[in-house]
Amino acid sequence: MPAHPLRTRAAVALTALLVTLAGCSTGPAPAAGTAGAPRSGGTVTWAVETEPITLNPHQYAQAKVRLLVWNTFESLLTYDQQGRLVPWLATAWQAAPDGLSYTLTLRDKVTFSDGAAFDAAAVKANIDKLREPGYAPTVAAVQLHNLKEVQVLDPRRVRLLLTAPDVLILDFLASPQGAQVSPRSLREAKNLKAGGVDLAGTGPFVLDRYVPGQELHYKRNPAYDWAPPTAGHTGPAHLDGITYRFLKESAVRVGALTSGQVQLIEGVPATDQPTVTANPTLRLSRQLNSGSAYSYYLNTSHAPFDDKRVRQAFREAVDVDAVLKAVYRDTATRAWSVVSPSSPLYDKRLEGTYGGDTAKANALLDQAGWTGRDADGYRTRAGKRLTVRLVQAAPYVRDRRDILAQAVQAAVKQSAGIDLKITLVDQGTAQQAFETNQYEVFDNSRADTDAGAALNLLLHSKGGINRTRTDDRRTDALLEAGQATADPGRRAAVYADLQQRVVTEQALVLPLYAPADQIAASTAVGGVRFEPTAGVPASAYDLWIGN
Amino acid sequence: MAGSPLRPVLRRVGSGLVVLWAAATAAYLALLAAPGDTVDAIVGEGADTPQIRADIVAEWGLDRPAVVQYLDYLGRLVTGDLGRSYLLQRPVAEVIGEQLAPTLALALAAAGLGVLLAVTVAIGTAGDRRPWLRRASSGAELLLVSTPSFLIGIVLLSVLSFRFGLFPVAGAHGFGSLVLPAVTLALPIAGLLAQVLRDGLDRALDEPFVLTARARGVRERVVLLRHALRHASLPAVTLAGWLFGILLGGAVIVEQVFGRPGLGQVTLAAVTAKDMPVVLAVVTLSAAVYVAVNTAADLTYLLVDPRLRRS
Repeated sequence: MPAHPLRTRAAVALTALLVTLAGCSTGPAPAAGTAGAPRSGGTVTWAVETEPITLNPHQYAQAKVRLLVWNTFESLLTYDQQGRLVPWLATAWQAAPDGLSYTLTLRDKVTFSDGAAFDAAAVKANIDKLREPGYAPTVAAVQLHNLKEVQVLDPRRVRLLLTAPDVLILDFLASPQGAQVSPRSLREAKNLKAGGVDLAGTGPFVLDRYVPGQELHYKRNPAYDWAPPTAGHTGPAHLDGITYRFLKESAVRVGALTSGQVQLIEGVPATDQPTVTANPTLRLSRQLNSGSAYSYYLNTSHAPFDDKRVRQAFREAVDVDAVLKAVYRDTATRAWSVVSPSSPLYDKRLEGTYGGDTAKANALLDQAGWTGRDADGYRTRAGKRLTVRLVQAAPYVRDRRDILAQAVQAAVKQSAGIDLKITLVDQGTAQQAFETNQYEVFDNSRADTDAGAALNLLLHSKGGINRTRTDDRRTDALLEAGQATADPGRRAAVYADLQQRVVTEQALVLPLYAPADQIAASTAVGGVRFEPTAGVPASAYDLWIGN
Repeated sequence: MAGSPLRPVLRRVGSGLVVLWAAATAAYLALLAAPGDTVDAIVGEGADTPQIRADIVAEWGLDRPAVVQYLDYLGRLVTGDLGRSYLLQRPVAEVIGEQLAPTLALALAAAGLGVLLAVTVAIGTAGDRRPWLRRASSGAELLLVSTPSFLIGIVLLSVLSFRFGLFPVAGAHGFGSLVLPAVTLALPIAGLLAQVLRDGLDRALDEPFVLTARARGVRERVVLLRHALRHASLPAVTLAGWLFGILLGGAVIVEQVFGRPGLGQVTLAAVTAKDMPVVLAVVTLSAAVYVAVNTAADLTYLLVDPRLRRS
């Protein structure tokens, strides 16, 4: 949650100074040494930025807490490094030729940490629970939209019957919302939707302490022996236990790491990265997230962005590379499409096809009739200034996206005389602006593992967050084809066509950067990894700490 | 004054209840008037379809008229039921209950330390015995009062925790982890209280009764502590309500910086997410504490000033 931006900036400047002072003098040396070979035992403390709203995986809504979910809970499938689905709690899955049913074979000898056996009845209990009214409305309405029913064939096999072909159901089975909770917990947990220590899963750790506002503590599940093929080892986790501390201020996280009070942190902003890389006892790693890139979606339902030329001009007016360099130094990866470059659905052909051409921007605006100039240097048409409004909801602003918006604002003003008005407001006010259509630019990125799920929401004419207000039959048809196509190659081709359609042909979006996660860790910690495909920090399963 | 001696007490309790009701109602109206409705707040950043919205409305009974929801809320408040958090999906009483102790520890430690510092500094610098010390102290107080506690916290952390490793950075693990947050919160309080106290001391020292005391040969320290401080503390006691406000507001920042559990964090999260039941509960609780603090302040007047006891 952002503190006051001015305050934050002052603090960042000051902290940078203090950390530098601390760094070049004789402060307490952080736990030096190297991790060596994997070993069992020991505990570590990890400072994370975000406290989970809920510890029930079915209610999962924050990509930042994904690393916590997988400590205690597991899904039926997961993704490998290439974005292919691989077995986890399900050992095999088979789609019917008509795409209307999926049969899953479940792993044997898996138990929940409350002692209950994991079987087909448990899978059915979980999915039925998700569809119970008032339990998880979003999951029921989106991921399970096409699900008709779950059939238990025998203790080791379940069949999902669909009303329409939907390959995204597999993505659901690999998602935190599809994670398996002990049926007993589903029946008996006191605050089921909030989750907590009384929710049992099958994961390598068991949550044994939650102090809201302060920390989570997990202890090893000694019975664990069913790691997915993507993990670095098999059998129980290396660590005896792990504590996650909630430290919302990045400067405080970095300070806690450099002073050896924690061994790992996540969320290392560009301004703090040099502090970490300059320290020989620390290591910084970065990974791009999956899903949709951080982009500006242009509202096509009214002037000026109902004119494609103005949308193109807006895009040409921004030198994205220069803007990213100014705000994030060299730590940001430019996006060329709505799809993140780390996704297997990403269309590489879009790279370098647009953007940063000031002359073209001005020519397009001249053609569109925005030929006048007012006293402040902004373009006008029929006496009306070329103003577009970007509404940002403060609770969701991260990665200094408010500062990035200011850089874009300066760029479009300087190169094409476009007036980008930025308002940073509370969630309710932002929602109101979107509902009453009082905006021209909407900014968003989504961390779905299958980018198709994000695009359905963002670009389909009936999508839940269709803020471009586009109503294009071809776009809808491509999205629906993508959701119904099982073959990975053909599916990628469909989404490539879709990206050409919305990015090149219609200029609906200005993609800016690919969101990424960072982990900074003491060199004494081994096994620091990101979750394959999702690109967010992985669970603590593979972590170990050297002697 | 005729009637039972209980009357002033009853009047106090009655007006306290009115304050509570007014605070709860004002908070309710403010949240109602804020842009965006409750369904928006619950939907948040996620997917948003008519079906999802309908489910949320049904789950929380949001289709009832605002007046009915308000009366329902008041009714439950009277019976001590604070409702369930939209965001956290848990009973509000539980959310607040588990965060009360750390905030209380922080607030009491900060208030105690702040008052102690202020009294020490004010007594040490009152009068015109050491003008240089007085000037230095006055400057330092001004600086502390005008520095955001966020900055004080980060500076203290950077030097004492990151640099010298004297105190842990995060959490509420016993005494050591309370020191820096309490100091951060106490410094601005000490700054302002010291100024008020010294001002009061200066004025008291000019009073004839001080002259009389000195003429009787009472030592300067006794004059200050026994005679002048008592007078000077009256305006300071009046600030108790303000002190409470500072503690609550400061706790939001301090808890965020130091990663401490507490009501401040809960409040911040609830307000940004428009989590109505939690916000309302925090407001009502604050109003209750405020009433209690002010009542205590009124009683303290009687204790400090014998003249007030007679009327």
